[in-house]
Order: sequence, then structure tokens, then C-alpha cells
Amino acid sequence: MIRNKFIFFTIIFFLFNYNLFASESDEVNTQPDDFETSKVEDEIYDPFEPVNRAIFSFNNVADRVVLEPVAKGYKKLPSPIQSGISNFLSNLRAPLVVVNQLLQGQGENAIQSSGRFIINSTVGLLGIFDVAEKIGIEEKEEDFGQTLATWGVGDGFYIVLPLFGPSNIRDTSGMLITMVTDPINAYAVSEGEAWLVPMRTAANAVDQRSKIIDEVNALRDNSVDYYAAVRSSYYQNRKAAIANVDDSELTPLPLISIEFE
Amino acid sequence: MKFFKIFFLSVILFFNTSLFADEASDWLRKEIDIILNAYLNENISNEERFLMIEQTINENFAGTGIAKFIAGNAWTKASKETKKNYIKSFKRHLALNIASMMQGYSDQKYELSSSKIDKNKVILVNMEIFSNTGSVVVTWRLKEAKNRLFVIDLLVADISLVVTKRSEFNSMLKNVDYNLEEFNSILDNQNEESLQKIINQ
Repeated sequence: MIRNKFIFFTIIFFLFNYNLFASESDEVNTQPDDFETSKVEDEIYDPFEPVNRAIFSFNNVADRVVLEPVAKGYKKLPSPIQSGISNFLSNLRAPLVVVNQLLQGQGENAIQSSGRFIINSTVGLLGIFDVAEKIGIEEKEEDFGQTLATWGVGDGFYIVLPLFGPSNIRDTSGMLITMVTDPINAYAVSEGEAWLVPMRTAANAVDQRSKIIDEVNALRDNSVDYYAAVRSSYYQNRKAAIANVDDSELTPLPLISIEFE
Repeated sequence: MKFFKIFFLSVILFFNTSLFADEASDWLRKEIDIILNAYLNENISNEERFLMIEQTINENFAGTGIAKFIAGNAWTKASKETKKNYIKSFKRHLALNIASMMQGYSDQKYELSSSKIDKNKVILVNMEIFSNTGSVVVTWRLKEAKNRLFVIDLLVADISLVVTKRSEFNSMLKNVDYNLEEFNSILDNQNEESLQKIINQ
């Protein structure tokens, strides 16, 4: 009797496993939540949407007219020059990355980032060459927005900043703290070279934009609501950065049912 | 005896799940290459190229399931005919999005990392695309049905296409009081505009 049960169970297991019950597979198998108002949409608190949309339109024009063409031109530079500029700018951010890692209790990462900064600033000729990466010390980004989030500060409402783009109250506060505390900027100002600060910001914008030309264009050309698409992308990207998700397996994502017509 | 039964069933379960995990990368590579090779073929028009890519995407993406998920609560209120039209328009929209994105990667080298299965039995395959100055990681989420694989989502730098589309569609659906029929005409207009951009580039 036990033996028969075992054989029966094994056969059933095989049939289900290899989908021999094809009709079962054709059944609609959605979750009740699928039909509720999108939770993703509801999570994004955007009380000033009309104002944000107006600023977004302005930013979009500025991007098309200035930033994108400059970024495309930058991308035509020989790749060692692009890498050199990108590495140099990234190295300038390193001191504040270390501070934020310490504030978030990431001692080991802070030691690694300090090591990266010392190696790249010296052997890497002021950060132009990413020597640390070659010896296995990977770059990790942390900012004050992430630190505030780690301390339990909520997003606040969504805001689109002129020229700076999508943000929220917490991340905007983080950005302001960065501007005030950045030692490189402070040094430039103290030396009477304050013009270097906006130059550095502009160079960072061009460098970052050049890395996502295709992705941004794909999103912009194919969105029924580009504003909402960017808002969602911003929140997903920040959530992953705050959680320090290196593994997509950890990102909570919807389970889509497979259906056959 | 009991030990052998448990062992036997465990072995079946293990081999069955790892079978797809191991084959997923090979399968995905084949399908990605079909798309990328279409961009390298200079003997076909832009429209023919898109139609080829659209066919590959429709065959391999769980288009209907994704469409339903993205429609959210507008789905339940819609008539059967409206749902059918929406799914058709959505599949084209999905193809236009993927085709537009993959076009940027057509002249770049890529590597697929080993696949793994998460706790929901979704297979994750990382695709690292290399440019002259760095790399970007695209994660493909695959699910098995009827003894084959389907793509249920893809993530570019931690941003899910499905989650973004759901948020985007929901924002637009709000404006038409979640009327899917009205939304279909907006989607069709957007598809036509996107298609013209692909054809005329």
C-alpha cells in the first residue's frame, strides 16, 4: 500500500513538473494584488506634480539642447581620455564617500574606499588611472541622502529640481549637505577659485549623462508618460542604492504569470 | 527504505530545477543574438528589422501576463474586446521598448553570467554589456512554463522595466479614469510615433 502511494506520488510529481497537464498551465493565474491600484505608484508621494512636470519639461528641453549633445560629443573622445576624466571626478568624490560609509557604520567599506583614494591619488596620478580597481578594490558609492535613509529619514515628497532633475526632500537635503561639506569644493572656494565648483558639477553631469545616452533615449522615445517613467526609475534606483543591493535577487519584484492565448 | 525515497525525490527536484538554470544562459544568448544580429544585417530595411525583432520578443516574453500586471485595476473593468486590443498594443509597445534599448547595445560585447534561481523559482541571468569606458548590467528574469522559458522582466541598473511601465501606465490611466479603451488609443498613438522613429532613423 505504501509502495503504491509512493509510485502514485512520483508519477503525479513528474506530470506536474513537466506540464503534461497542459490545460492547467493555460489557466489564468494572477494575484489579487495585480488588480489593485499600483502600489508602486501610490508609494511615490508627489503633491506638487503640476509644478514638477513644468520643471521636468524645462529640464527635458535643457537636456535635448545642451546636455545630450555635449555628452554625445564627450563620448566621441578617445576612451582613455573619457575614462581618465571619469576616474578623476570619481576620485574627487571619494573623501565624502568614506565619511558617509563611516556614518552608516560600514567600517570595512570605509577602509577600502580610503585605500582606493590613497592609491588612486598617488600611483593613479590624481585619480586619472583607477589602479585600485585593477588590484581588486572596487568602487562603492555612498552619499548623504543614503546616510539619512539609513538613519531612518523618510523620502519626503518627490521634487524635480531645475537642471539637477528628479529628487525628493531627503535626497535634496543630502545634496545640500554634500555641497556644504565637500572638502574639495571648500578648498577651491578658500583659494578664490569658486568657479571650479560649478565647473566640477557640470563635468560630473556630462560624464554621468554620457553613460546613459541609449537608456534615456529608449525611455524618452517609448514612454506614454515620460515624467512618470523617470519618477519610477529614480525611486527604484535610489531604493537599490540605499539597500546596497548588488544582487537583483534581493530586489522585491512582481511575479508575472505566464498565460497562453 | 524511507531514506532512499527522500533521496530519490530530492535528486529529481534538484535536477529538475537546475536543468533550467543551466540551460537558461544558453537559451537567452541565442535569443539575444537573434536581436543583436538583426541590427548588424545591413541588407534589410529598418521596418523589416523591427518586425524580426518584434517576432523574437513576442515569442519569448510573457507578454500577456506582463500586460495584465501593468494594466492594474483598469483590467477588471474592461470588456473582452478591449482587453484583446490592449494586449495586442502592449506587445508592440514592449517590442518597441526592447528594440530601442537593444539597438544601443548592438555594437558592444556582452557576457552572460551563470544563472541562478531565486526563492520564487524565477531564474535570474545577468548580462554584462561592455563599452569602451565601462559596463552596464542587465538582469533578465525568466520563468518556466510548458517546459520552456519566458522572459518576465528585465532590469537595467536595478530599474525594472515592468515596474517602471506599471507606474507609467498607471499615471496615464488615472487621467482617463482607468478606462482601458480610451488608454488603448493613447498607447496606439505612442506606438505609431515610436515605430516611425525606428523606421526613419
